[in-house]
Amino acid sequence: MQPLGTFKIGQTQKMNLFQSITSALDNSLAKDPTAVIFGEDVAFGGVFRCTVGLRDKYGKDRVFNTPLCEQGIVGFGIGIAVTGATAIAEIQFADYIFPAFDQIVNEAAKYRYRSGDLFNCGSLTIRAPWGCVGHGALYHSQCPEAFFAHCPGIKVVIPRSPFQAKGLLLSCIEDKDPCIFFEPKILYRAAVEQVPVEPYKIPLSQAEVIQEGSDVTLVAWGTQVHVIREVASMAREKLGVSCEIIDLRTITPWDMDTVCKSVIKTGRLLISHEAPLTGGFASEISSTVQEECFLNLEAPISRVCGYDTPFPHIFEPFYIPDKWKCYDALRKMINY
Amino acid sequence: MAVAMCMAKIWRPSGGLGQAALLLLRRPGARGLARFHPSRQQQQFPSLDDKPQFPGASAEFVDKLEFIQPNVISGIPIYRVMDRQGQIINPSEDPHLPQEEVLKLYRSMTLLNTMDRILYESQRQGRISFYMTNYGEEGTHVGSAAALDHTDLVFGQYREAGVLMYRDYPLELFMAQCYGNVSDPGKGRQMPVHYGCKERHFVTISSPLATQIPQAVGAAYAAKRANANRIVICYFGEGAASEGDAHAGFNFAATLECPIIFFCRNNGYAISTPTSEQYRGDGIAARGPGYGILSIRVDGNDVFAVYNATREARRRAVAENQPFLIEAMTYRIGHHSTSDDSSAYRSVDEVNYWDKQDHPISRLRQYLLNQGWWDEEQEKTWRKQSRKKVMEAFEQAERKLKPNPNLLFSDVYQEMPTQLRRQQESLARHLQTYGEHYPLDHFDK
Repeated sequence: MQPLGTFKIGQTQKMNLFQSITSALDNSLAKDPTAVIFGEDVAFGGVFRCTVGLRDKYGKDRVFNTPLCEQGIVGFGIGIAVTGATAIAEIQFADYIFPAFDQIVNEAAKYRYRSGDLFNCGSLTIRAPWGCVGHGALYHSQCPEAFFAHCPGIKVVIPRSPFQAKGLLLSCIEDKDPCIFFEPKILYRAAVEQVPVEPYKIPLSQAEVIQEGSDVTLVAWGTQVHVIREVASMAREKLGVSCEIIDLRTITPWDMDTVCKSVIKTGRLLISHEAPLTGGFASEISSTVQEECFLNLEAPISRVCGYDTPFPHIFEPFYIPDKWKCYDALRKMINY
Repeated sequence: MAVAMCMAKIWRPSGGLGQAALLLLRRPGARGLARFHPSRQQQQFPSLDDKPQFPGASAEFVDKLEFIQPNVISGIPIYRVMDRQGQIINPSEDPHLPQEEVLKLYRSMTLLNTMDRILYESQRQGRISFYMTNYGEEGTHVGSAAALDHTDLVFGQYREAGVLMYRDYPLELFMAQCYGNVSDPGKGRQMPVHYGCKERHFVTISSPLATQIPQAVGAAYAAKRANANRIVICYFGEGAASEGDAHAGFNFAATLECPIIFFCRNNGYAISTPTSEQYRGDGIAARGPGYGILSIRVDGNDVFAVYNATREARRRAVAENQPFLIEAMTYRIGHHSTSDDSSAYRSVDEVNYWDKQDHPISRLRQYLLNQGWWDEEQEKTWRKQSRKKVMEAFEQAERKLKPNPNLLFSDVYQEMPTQLRRQQESLARHLQTYGEHYPLDHFDK
């Protein structure tokens, strides 16, 4: 599989996000005879259609439903991975990952370390739909990456687009450590682009500077990258401000060098995520950047995040860190 | 006719599933009708018979209101081969293991017992931080281990050291893990008794209870796919069986048709909690049928009963790709661990009964004596020999250094991430200045 640097595009196809996921899974099962996909409702194609066609193509022993039990799904996946086979587990919504928290944090993350590298479950990947969707409320909108960022031993990856998703998911599946791959559900149908049909990998723990700029660094991941992209346009138009935009991509282990290098250049940092403010991953980024880049900062680091409430239903438009809130925070930072 | 046609349009099984369903029903198999799946029953839907059509259960109607009474007064019977004096009860159940094998069982149990005594004592003396003994449960370990293939994967809880002992794990490595010394394959990362061995197919123990149960099921599924002729055995106590992970594991094993043996050591206590406070049903064996799992209860202090049940379960698990549940009744003679004093919650008389009247080691010794395969002289020699072996390993383990502190940082990921490397460098710098306040002399350079 080609790493992205030496990538020759080859044949591409118009795919939305869920189709790019299907494509990645298809490539994986074709290439790796040990790979299996399992979880609730994956057999008929999945509630978001990410696994459509795979059971017919690869067989019912490779793409199958499990009983409704997240702790079982993840525990089962760990066991498959311990034997060296590739386990791709689906949790139906990131909001339901919590019953599996013990298996992820106490078991998967610690398997290699506690056994002195005699055993590991590196060939486990857990996928889950993630983030706000307009009407999801408390239990169909959550972004739980911060809970897992605090856990050494696992990797947490969040793509912003179909092209990114396929390359990052394939990297997760082949990575030698257990990975959690969160898929922004609001983009499943809405995000469409040309995606290579053949497999390719995008490296983990590498943030991407998707737009260079000189005055402010904007950091986000998943859906929010598109929000800050718009904010950058607004800033250029209304304020004549040049923004550098970074998609973090891997939450843990995260690429602090790319972020710090950018802040050293711009002197200002704004981080934005849907997840609640307190203890959200922006806190980790903010804390690290002020340690490493203190003398370069022209203004306090700004975090524009969800409020410290459960994710509301009817109040979603007020809850989310939209472009107006981000723009306002950016304006205040520029005028500091 | 018109009605049937109309209703057929509303609900049609998808083509693929429908075909598969019919094929499955017609296939005569090892499982035949015993593993009947309700949703595969319906070839014609809807039937106009007055029979239940529910996808969720295969049963007849009844017009008498009656609750099923759980049977806990006269529960699932306990299979045994030997009586408490080591006499075979029913000769046709005697596995007729060769002398060498029975001696291996006996030596494994007694060597484990000797090692337990010495390491428990070493904790009392402050030489190791913690220990858990296996007193009274040695029979469950070796009886089951002897019935497995060497490559069968073992997922344990923490009181199964006899399985490793049976698989010839060296005393040096048991001790190395307990001391966390430089020879520990686990690199000193875990508390004592958290053994693991790749060559002997014994997955490293972890402290959280029952987490190994769904993992064992996944491993069994992978073994089935690999056509490896391998099963997985998963040990746990009756306390751990209360965890959600146990329920998850049983259900997955049954629905996904995994070649796994669930081996429950029901030893009467989960630390201080007696079984009367752990469950209200007929133990763990009675739960198996609820999941569609073939289940048996055995006398865990009868090595041959444990052996026979495990052997047959293994044979069928491989042949039929289905799980088996063995509940081995036994008794935890020792304290839960070195952090426990069980006199706080049970009588010395109770413990003594099991130690003196129903112990797996005594019962097997009596069998050996009856066969003329062992005598007092050999017993004395073996006791001296095993104690000497354990003491030698123990003294060596004591003298060794602990691993290099750099091993604090490795194996978190396969490749050490940048952040962690920086933290490792930060500790190295810190030790350069403040090293005198750290026990560096005991650690490998």
